[in-house]
Amino acid sequence: MNHKELIASMAIKLNAPKSVVADLLDVTVATCTELLVDEKTIGFQSFGNFEVRKKEERLSVHPSTQIRTLVPPKLVVTFKQSNILKDKLKDLPHNE
Amino acid sequence: MSKEKISSQEIIDLVSSKSLVSKRVAEEFLKVMISSVEEALLSGDLVKIKNLGTFKLQWNEPRKSVNVQTGEEILLSGYHKVTFTPDAVLRDAVNEPFAHLSPVELESENPAPIPESADVDLDPLRIFTDQAAEIKDLISEIQALSPKAKSKSVPKQEMPPVESYDLEEIVVDEALEAPEVQVEVSVEPQKTILHEDVFESVNEKIIVEKPFELVVPNEIENKDVESEVSGLAVNPVPEFESTPFLKDIEPRKRQKVWVWLLSVVLVFVFCSLGLYFFCPPVTRFADDCKASVTSTAESFSFTETLNSISSWFAPIPKPVPVVKTIVIPKDTVDNDTVVIEKKAAVDSLQLLFDNPRIYKRFIATETVEAGNRLTLMAKKYYGNKDFWVYIYEANKSKIPNPDRIAQGTLIRIPKLDSRLIDANNPRCIKKARELHDIYVNN
Repeated sequence: MNHKELIASMAIKLNAPKSVVADLLDVTVATCTELLVDEKTIGFQSFGNFEVRKKEERLSVHPSTQIRTLVPPKLVVTFKQSNILKDKLKDLPHNE
Repeated sequence: MSKEKISSQEIIDLVSSKSLVSKRVAEEFLKVMISSVEEALLSGDLVKIKNLGTFKLQWNEPRKSVNVQTGEEILLSGYHKVTFTPDAVLRDAVNEPFAHLSPVELESENPAPIPESADVDLDPLRIFTDQAAEIKDLISEIQALSPKAKSKSVPKQEMPPVESYDLEEIVVDEALEAPEVQVEVSVEPQKTILHEDVFESVNEKIIVEKPFELVVPNEIENKDVESEVSGLAVNPVPEFESTPFLKDIEPRKRQKVWVWLLSVVLVFVFCSLGLYFFCPPVTRFADDCKASVTSTAESFSFTETLNSISSWFAPIPKPVPVVKTIVIPKDTVDNDTVVIEKKAAVDSLQLLFDNPRIYKRFIATETVEAGNRLTLMAKKYYGNKDFWVYIYEANKSKIPNPDRIAQGTLIRIPKLDSRLIDANNPRCIKKARELHDIYVNN
């Protein structure tokens, strides 16, 4: 689902104009980003947590060229779904 | 890094304050947002939110596992998982503290600097990374040494200080249980370069077939505690501690030769650069090369090459330590030396530029010697290097090629209209540069 489609579906549910919904979404995303930049953990009930994790620097070897590279450390955003969401997903059919 | 979780309620408060909506509206919005995302995910669709990221469902295949308590095999069923991939904007914003770093290949001389991080003390793997850094330094030092791997002393010095804190532990263990040492030593079949010399000297003491198993305990018995540390440090311990890392040196030995060739080439380049700047014959040769490279096919002529070759071989007057002979002509007059063909009243400066200049009066003469150039003379007399073109024009008869002037040539510095050589006037400089282009590219 696109950003646009999401806004459309939300606008329908909220009975609000799309521009307002879009604006609110932008503000929400911006606040979340700011909090994450501050290395805070954000939790949405029954949905999941957004956490900032540090990845240590490591030595990685290119398998074919055998060039050893020092990958620098970095901070990444991770999402962990809540158990309630996990249960909801269990009921999903899987076609393969 | 605080471990407190920020609840959705706080988010609601922040959003409502920022976007000037009531808290109820913000709350409803957030609920709807989460539920929309969930719905989309549950219907198998992915959700992409700008500047935030993408939520996607990931299917994990069922796999075999073991019940940790009973030990019997268990089949873990397949399941869907919600994964989130942050958007580039979010990624970069969060990684801001480490944004200045980039991956570095380890073969280079300069290892990437380990960054100072605010939470250094909390890093659980810091000790490991520090060790890894030290070992990396060691490896680069060892590589930088002479290619002869026979230098025993250096490895001895390098290894023990760094590994000392681990050595002591191992020494204690080894002193107590020599047989264990034997086993561990003999297990290492691959001998790295550094240990060739050690093994050779060790082999000299061989009496029995398996040298290492005997030599090590001998050394333990014979030496006192301190030398035990160093002896063990040299012989078996480096094998334990650094074999995983030193094994890497073997493939690098091949590259050692390559590195040496490269350094020799670099030295050669620097020497030739030095010569280029300080030796006229080399300068002329370099200029010849330049000229031959830059000359186009049309302008290339056989006679030109002959000329260049013959001039290259022409005897150079010995560099006499000459003091610059500046002869100030007696007939210096404060007249314009530039003859202007009068035309209709136009910008006088432009007239100066356009009309051919005839130089009659000279303010000085200079003898060209090693390292002297028209540009330097121009700088001295006119205040700007670019005005060498006028000196060149005045002495065209003597200078066949502005790039290359024979040593000892007497150059007469013309007296120029001060408007022409006004160092502050951009037009003058521009004109001079145009002339420069014409003359150099001719």
